[in-house]
Amino acid sequence: MNHKRSQILTALLLAGGFWATAHAGDAKEIAASVCAACHGEDGNSVAPTFPKLAGQNAVYLQKQLKDFLSGKRKNEAMEPFLGSFSDGDTSALGVHFAREKTAPGTVEDATLVEAGRKLFQDGNTDSGIPACAGCHQVDGMGNDRYPRLAGQHQTYTLAQMQNFKSGARNNDKGKIMRSVAERLTEAEMKAVSEYLAGMEVK
Amino acid sequence: MKKMTTLMALAFTGALSTPLWAADAVPHEAGIESEGYVWNKMEGEKLEALKARGDALRGEIAFEICQGCHRKGALGRDDGTYPRLAGQHASVLIKQMTDVRAGRRDNPKMLPFAGHDALSVQDIADISVYLRSLPSPADNGKGDGKALTKGKQLYDKDCATCHADNGEGDGPKFYPRVSGQHYKYLLREAVAIRDGARRNANPMMVKAIKKYSDQDLEALSDYISRFASK
Repeated sequence: MNHKRSQILTALLLAGGFWATAHAGDAKEIAASVCAACHGEDGNSVAPTFPKLAGQNAVYLQKQLKDFLSGKRKNEAMEPFLGSFSDGDTSALGVHFAREKTAPGTVEDATLVEAGRKLFQDGNTDSGIPACAGCHQVDGMGNDRYPRLAGQHQTYTLAQMQNFKSGARNNDKGKIMRSVAERLTEAEMKAVSEYLAGMEVK
Repeated sequence: MKKMTTLMALAFTGALSTPLWAADAVPHEAGIESEGYVWNKMEGEKLEALKARGDALRGEIAFEICQGCHRKGALGRDDGTYPRLAGQHASVLIKQMTDVRAGRRDNPKMLPFAGHDALSVQDIADISVYLRSLPSPADNGKGDGKALTKGKQLYDKDCATCHADNGEGDGPKFYPRVSGQHYKYLLREAVAIRDGARRNANPMMVKAIKKYSDQDLEALSDYISRFASK
């Protein structure tokens, strides 16, 4: 009985292993056939309205994909592709893009970078804006809970802050990002987006 | 100074505009301005958080949303805008966080980051245990050092009974550690407590410093800011 049980277990483990490998393969294929058109073949989008996914934290990416599938996060451009992957693919897709290397961003207005750096690292004590570095980390690399921002297109970063501010994007943990964005001025959002675009990518 | 006091009170309680998506009303509970006010009533979330078993590692993670203001290591800022929390008694931290959430301590700047959307009761217990374990080095903001003798005299007479000889406070009694705290924060809160703007204050303390001038509070805060840190 024990022997039989262990045989079943082994079979299950093997099947599980194949399943995971198959899914990693699926993720690569989905990335190439579905995601690449907008997000780039290696997850580095060219058009700045689409986010770079390369080097993003896997757990964070997985949550965003799940949120798109469940409707917690909405985006017109993403909508037509939501039928091309399922909840079971989100983990492998997250890992796939997390492994890619982020291409460095380009600063468009260098005069804004210093103001952006100050806000990101130090916040604004007058209006009660916390330093972004508190959650997104001093090097802008984020963690499982908060996205990596270093090297992201300024157009995309800015749009997300505007969406959090208006409430159009509302899948943030504990309304934290909406509370921060509510206090950000347009000038502050632009400055911090420039700083992040120029931040060193690792 | 009177003008400064008013300004500080405004900055502290000043209403920030409420965004459309924030459906929750700003909480408000009766405080020291109300008749029959009982300081530190043992009930509600405060009691739940005190009963919960806090975990320092979980607390370090939950504290991520706080450290944008209170800084890494919870050292606060010497400009007094955000207090040092490192080394504070867990009981005190629990009381202050739950007072802000309940609307007994008005703090619109902090509320969204400590409110019910942002933190669970367990998070509060975890964060408190994490913070109490942190070191508080002697680099906190100090005053100008010109009236320390007077500061000591006032402290020994009216403050030491509760906050202890070297500002250690008293955890079981919910009296905050004041050693290692930034001068400007100590002064701002002392003024707010004296003037009734800090609505969760201990009436015993209000009574003790009611007759203090702004200069007295400056001397006192300066003296406190020089206590050996933990």
